[in-house]
Amino acid sequence: MELLLQQLFNGLTLGSVYILVAIGLTLVFGILHVPNFAHGALYLIGGYLTLMAMKGLGVHYFVAIIISMISVALIAILMERLVFNPLRNAPAIHDKIAAIGMVLFFDALVSLIWGNDYQRMITPYGDSVTIFGIATSYQRILVIVVAVVVVILLQLFLKKTMIGASIIAMAQNREGAFLVGINANAVAMMTFAISGALAAIAASISSPINLVFPAMGHIVILKAFVVVIIGGMGSVPGAIIGGLILGITESLGATYISNDYKDMIAFLLLIIIMTVRPKGLFAKGVY
Amino acid sequence: MNTFKRGLFLSLLFILAIVLVACSEDGKETKNDEEKAPVSTEGSKVEELTIGYTGPLSGPAAFYGEETLKGLRMAAEEINDSGGFEVDGQKYTINLSTLDDKYLPNEAAANAKRLVQEQDTKFIYTPHSGGVYAMQVFNEMEDFIVMAYTSEPGVTETGNKMTVRIPPRYDRYIEPFTKYEMERFGKKIAFLPTATQYGKDWADSLRPVWEANGGEVVFDESIDFSKDTDFQTIMTNALAKNPDVLFIGGPSQPTALVLKQARDLGFEGGFIIMDQAKLDEIAAVLGGSYDLLEGVISTPPLVTSRYGGTEAFIEKYRSENDKDPGSESGFHYISLYILVEAMKAAGTVDDTEKIMAAMDQGAKNLPEDKEVYYIQGVDDDGGFLPLLRMAYVENGEIVQMGEEK
Repeated sequence: MELLLQQLFNGLTLGSVYILVAIGLTLVFGILHVPNFAHGALYLIGGYLTLMAMKGLGVHYFVAIIISMISVALIAILMERLVFNPLRNAPAIHDKIAAIGMVLFFDALVSLIWGNDYQRMITPYGDSVTIFGIATSYQRILVIVVAVVVVILLQLFLKKTMIGASIIAMAQNREGAFLVGINANAVAMMTFAISGALAAIAASISSPINLVFPAMGHIVILKAFVVVIIGGMGSVPGAIIGGLILGITESLGATYISNDYKDMIAFLLLIIIMTVRPKGLFAKGVY
Repeated sequence: MNTFKRGLFLSLLFILAIVLVACSEDGKETKNDEEKAPVSTEGSKVEELTIGYTGPLSGPAAFYGEETLKGLRMAAEEINDSGGFEVDGQKYTINLSTLDDKYLPNEAAANAKRLVQEQDTKFIYTPHSGGVYAMQVFNEMEDFIVMAYTSEPGVTETGNKMTVRIPPRYDRYIEPFTKYEMERFGKKIAFLPTATQYGKDWADSLRPVWEANGGEVVFDESIDFSKDTDFQTIMTNALAKNPDVLFIGGPSQPTALVLKQARDLGFEGGFIIMDQAKLDEIAAVLGGSYDLLEGVISTPPLVTSRYGGTEAFIEKYRSENDKDPGSESGFHYISLYILVEAMKAAGTVDDTEKIMAAMDQGAKNLPEDKEVYYIQGVDDDGGFLPLLRMAYVENGEIVQMGEEK
């Protein structure tokens, strides 16, 4: 029983990070119908900027996260302006090639600027703690809390504010949104900014558990794509449910079947869900 | 309006670039491998000898690749700065020609072909067993020596006559590691090595020895550092089996995290750590203290070794890189000196058979002030014979044991 609880908790931590990355990915897809492969690069830069702000500027962990969020949001806007926007009328494959190009570019840039070393992000929340028989650390609790808070704030933003409503309007019906006077450029930039900021948060809260290194983006983005596909491309609730499903399947699969097969189990799940619901769990009920 | 917007974004881009550079801890300069051949004082022409290298210079293992290359570069620069070396009356300087293989065996093989065809090199370094095996398919036919940096004993046991294995073979550690951990902690071990071929081979060698000594393997899975972001799940499962000892390994930094997560989950036993990870690097990740490493047995860090050339090497490395060197840099450094000594002893720079035969003499001729490690010789298969040294952590301090010079 204790093992089950412990593993559910571990799965929840994993799932929380997947959710934060996947929401950014799914938002961009919802608006622009572009699978942004370069999202992992935003995650990577987010992790490094937080680390460097802490080390270089000596600021507190949370201040560093905010610096990183703003910077990555700006980079994401640039990405939209300089790459995706000029390509909006090009054949669909061009976006994807451009996105892969950006992955390579940012990977090389990060290696060049910060080197290939593994680096550790040390936060004030590294101490371990035992709650109800579950051994964990404050950082892991922080991961879950931050994910919950961010998801709630994001939902409020999308449902209750004018800008949020225009993002949803764009996702639901592009032409209709234009007709009622929504500025497509502004909404696209806004969406990229949110997605970048979410990637930065995800990287910043999960890095202290792992390490900061140039390949960190690849590992996460692969899982995030699975989450988005399970949940339905473009659906925020889908990303949340998908993230939880993947995180918990991974940890329980590793426990009760085998760690060596846990990816196989996760991908098997993906295939089953795709067979039953080819568009993902929440395909039509966008937002 | 449009030009204004474009200008705005370009300036934003510029500012971001500055921020990124300003945030970087240290501006790194890329070095050029091409060394100008110095003209010797006697006026005779100095020839350039190309030594090839293929290793991971990008991707997840890039850090490791760079470390191996640093050792080679330091040795090559020293040799060139002192005017090169003389073989059979002719002076040579070393030109290191490096290619990136992203840790992939097929790329390593392609790079080796390129180095041989374009630069006619007779010596190719590679720091991974996959690359070594890939090159061994054709190295005898194309007449080049593989300088293999891998502790995998298999690479020199396949009968390939043109392979030099540089680091100590890992299977020699297994018996003493097993005895130490069993005596100190108990007979139950959980296996959580890295999910690479090297990790699996290590585990396959350890398992029979552990069981032959009356021990039991209670958990047997592996960690994939290229896919997993969190090791808590697998560690929870391993510790649920109540092991006395954990067998872990992989690159130092993620291995350190695995160790820390085990301690966070309340594990108080010992660790056997594969030779790839370094105790000092693990401690550095964990904040510099050896407290969490209590009961670890592994290979000793280079910085704690004391041979004729160790201190000078460490000092030079520190001044150039601002950190401590790892054993991969040290072994690459001496291996190039040994190779040069072997060429001198063989009296040729291109007869690979003679050079292989002189490798043992080369190791014995290694000048004492270059002795970062003490190599007793080179065996008939081409394996270096370093002293068997081990280190364990007791009461928060590194204690060394093993063969003495």
